[in-house]
Amino acid sequence: MKLGEAWRLSRTCYREMVYRSLAEERGRMWWGAFGRSQQGKESQDDLELTKRALRIAKFDKGVVAVFNVIVSMAPFASLFLGSPGFGLTSAISLSLAVTFGFTALYSIQTLSSFMSPESSALLLAMPLNRDDFSLITLFSFIRSFDYMVVGSILSQVVLVAYLTASPIATLIMLAASTMNAVFAVAVALWFSRFFQKNMLLGGRSKANSILRLFFILMWGLLLVAVGFLFTIPWYIIPNLQSTLLGAGQVWNSLWGLLYPFSTGIVITASVSSITSSTLLVASVAMLGYALLAVFAGKWSLVTVKRVSQGSGVNIARVAAQDFSVKSRGPLLGYVLKDLKVASRNPATAFFFTLPVLETVIIILLDSNFGVLRTALVLVGTSMGGVFALFLPLALLSAEGKGLEYTKTLPISSRRIVVPKALVSTATYVPVPLALAILSLLKPLSAPSAILIPFLIIMPVASASIFEIKLFLRTAAKGKMASVLNDFEKLTFGVAVVLVSVVAYAAVFLTTFNHDFSLLAMGGVAFAELAAAFYVLRRP
Amino acid sequence: MSDVGLQRKSGSVSEPLIETSGLTKQFGSFYALSDVNLRVMPGEIYGLLGPNGAGKTTTIKTILGLLEPTSGWIKVVGLDPAKYPIEVKSKIGYVAENPIIYDSLSPRDFLDFVSSIRKTDSIATNELVARLANAFDMAQYFDSPIATLSLGMKQKVALIASFIHQPPVLLLDEPLNGLDAKSSRIVKELVGFHAQKGGAVLFSTHIMEVAQQVCTRIGIIYQGKLIAEGTLDQLRGKTQGGGTLEEVFLRLTNEEDEVAETMRMLREAFFKNEAR
Repeated sequence: MKLGEAWRLSRTCYREMVYRSLAEERGRMWWGAFGRSQQGKESQDDLELTKRALRIAKFDKGVVAVFNVIVSMAPFASLFLGSPGFGLTSAISLSLAVTFGFTALYSIQTLSSFMSPESSALLLAMPLNRDDFSLITLFSFIRSFDYMVVGSILSQVVLVAYLTASPIATLIMLAASTMNAVFAVAVALWFSRFFQKNMLLGGRSKANSILRLFFILMWGLLLVAVGFLFTIPWYIIPNLQSTLLGAGQVWNSLWGLLYPFSTGIVITASVSSITSSTLLVASVAMLGYALLAVFAGKWSLVTVKRVSQGSGVNIARVAAQDFSVKSRGPLLGYVLKDLKVASRNPATAFFFTLPVLETVIIILLDSNFGVLRTALVLVGTSMGGVFALFLPLALLSAEGKGLEYTKTLPISSRRIVVPKALVSTATYVPVPLALAILSLLKPLSAPSAILIPFLIIMPVASASIFEIKLFLRTAAKGKMASVLNDFEKLTFGVAVVLVSVVAYAAVFLTTFNHDFSLLAMGGVAFAELAAAFYVLRRP
Repeated sequence: MSDVGLQRKSGSVSEPLIETSGLTKQFGSFYALSDVNLRVMPGEIYGLLGPNGAGKTTTIKTILGLLEPTSGWIKVVGLDPAKYPIEVKSKIGYVAENPIIYDSLSPRDFLDFVSSIRKTDSIATNELVARLANAFDMAQYFDSPIATLSLGMKQKVALIASFIHQPPVLLLDEPLNGLDAKSSRIVKELVGFHAQKGGAVLFSTHIMEVAQQVCTRIGIIYQGKLIAEGTLDQLRGKTQGGGTLEEVFLRLTNEEDEVAETMRMLREAFFKNEAR
C-alpha cells in the first residue's frame, strides 16, 4: 500500500477514535429525566452532532498546536529582547523541555481513547495484510498529535536557523526537536498503556489499590513537572544561567550530560567555535539520547501495533471471596462512585493531583519572599481556587455513558450536584492548609490575611455548584456544546471566585484596612454561597 | 424476597401497577408511539412484543420517565412519573436493552453505588446479591472492571441491580440479550417468582418463543401502535388461524404475505448462480 493511501485511510480510523472519545461523553447530554423541567430531548440529528463534534475536535487540536508553538518560541523571546542573562543554550534547552512536557501532557489526554483496541475495530474486518493494517493504525496514531509536533519542530528549527544562520546548527536542532517529540509521545504512550493495564487488573487487593494511587501520583508528577516548566523563566533559568556561567569545569561537564542541556550546549558550540570537555561530554550524551530516541520510537511503533491488534492485554480474573456490597446512603455512595470513576479514567485522573500542584505552586510563589504579603496570599489563593474549578467539569466528563443508568435511579439532580461540589471543594482545602503552615514559618504582613484562603472555600463551593448547574441547564436542552465546550462554565466559575477577591482589593484600596476588606470579602463569599444554595434548590 | 405487591403505598392489589392511556410520543414528525393504552396488573408478566423499531423501548423509557410523552398519561403504582420521578423510579427495577453501566467500576462497586442510591437494607441486600451472583456464576467477575465483561455478564450485573431493592415493578427491555441458556432460564424463573409475589413485569422482547414461555399476557406493538393484546389463546382467537405465536404475530401485523414474498426473492437471488 502506498503511503499516501494509508495516510488517507487512517483518517477514518482517527475520526472513529475521536468520535469514540466524544461518544463516551455523549452520555452527558442525556441529563434529562430528573423531573418534568429536565426531561431528555431525543430530537437531535446524530449525523449533524457527529460532524460538529469532529469539527470542534479539529479546532481544539489546532488551538493546542498554536499554544505549543507559542510556548516553544517563548524562551527565545528574551534573545530578541536582548536579555543578557539568557543565552542560546538556555533558550534551546528550555524550549525543548517545555514542548516535551506540553506534548506529553496533551498526548496522554488523547491517547487514552487510542488504547482501546476498538479504535481499529473498523479495520480488523477489512481484507488488509498485517503491514498495511499496522501502517494505517500508526498513521491514525500520529494524527492525534501531528499539528502540535510539527508546529513545535518547525518553530524551533526556524528560530535556530534565524538566530545562528548556521546550516549545521539548524540540522542539529531539527534532529533534536524530532527526538524531543519522539520522547514526549513515547512517555505519553507508556503512561496511557500503564493506566490501561492497571484498569484491567481488577480484584480487590490492597496492592492494586496502592498501585492505582501510585499511578495517579505519577500523573500528578507529570502535571507538576509541566507546572514547574512554566515557572522556569522566572525561577530556574536565572539561577541556571548564573550556575552555568560560574560553574567549574566538572559541573559544566555534568550539565552537558543532562537532557536537554546537552542539545543546547552542542548547538551553541557549533556556532561559537567553543571546544572544551563540556562540549565533548554533551556531544556524547546527545548521541546517547539519539540512540534512546531510536529505541523509544521503535518501542512506540511496536506498542501501537500491539494495541491495534488487541494483543498484549492481560485481564486478571480474581475469584471473589464473597459478594458483600455496602449500602452507604446516596451522598457518600455518589461521592465514592465519582472518585472511583474519575480516578480510573486517564483523562480525568490527574485532576486529583491538583491539590499537590496547587500546594507546590504556592510554596514556589512564596519561597522567594521573606514576608507573606497579603497580595501574595490573594494571588496564591485565587490560583488554587481556579485550579479546583476544573474538577466539577472533569467529574461530569467522567460520568460518561454510565449516566444513562444513573438517571434511571431515584435520584434528583441536586443529589448529583452536591457530591461533585463537595469533591471539588475538598481539592481546594490543601491551599489554605499550606498557607497556614507557611504563615507559621514566615510572618504575615497582615495577620488577619490568613483567613483569606479559608474564606475562599465558600466561593469555590459556590462556583462548583454554579458550574454544574449551568452544565445541567444547557445539557437538558440537548446542546452538544455543553458536552464539548466547557469554557463558558469555567469562565463563570472563575468569575465567582474572583468576585470576592476583587471585593477585598476594592475595599482595601478605599479604606486601607485589612479587617474591613476581610469583612467585605466574607460578606460577598457568604452571599455567593447563599445564591448557590438557592440555585441548587431550584429544579 | 419480600412480598413486593404489598409494599405499595398507594393502590390496592386489584389496581394496575402500570397503566398508560392514550400514550403518544412524537419525535419531530415521526410517531414513535401512538395512542398506546396498556395496564399491567399485580402478578402479571406483560410481554411487549414487536419487531425492531416498533416502539417497545420508547414505551418503557416513557413509563420510566426518561422521555416525556407528547400526549396521554402514565401511572406507575398510581403515580405520574413526570410529577413524581423519584418515587416512581424507587418502585421500578429496570434493565436496558444494552446494559450501559460504568465501565471502570467492578460489579461490586456498581452494586455498592446502586444500593447506596436506593438506600437498601444492607443485610437483605447482601443476602439477595449473594444468591443472585452465585446463581449467575459471577465469582470470577465480581471484582473485574465492567469494561472487561462480556455482554451477557454485563446483563447479569444489570439484572442483579434491578432486583436489589425488591421493587413492585420490573421494566425489562430485552433482558435475555447475550445470556447463556442457564442464565436465561434463571431469569425467566426469577421473573415468575416476582409475579407470584404480586409484582408486575413489563417484558419487552422480539423473540416469540420467549414471550410464549414467560408472559401471562402479550401486547403486540407495531409501528408505535398496540395492535392487539391478550393471552396467547386470545390472540390466536383474534386471527382465527391458531398456530404458534410467530404465526399469530405475522398475521396480526399483516406481514405473512410480505415475508413469503421476501423469502421467495431471497431464494431466487441466493441460488441464482447455481441455476446458471
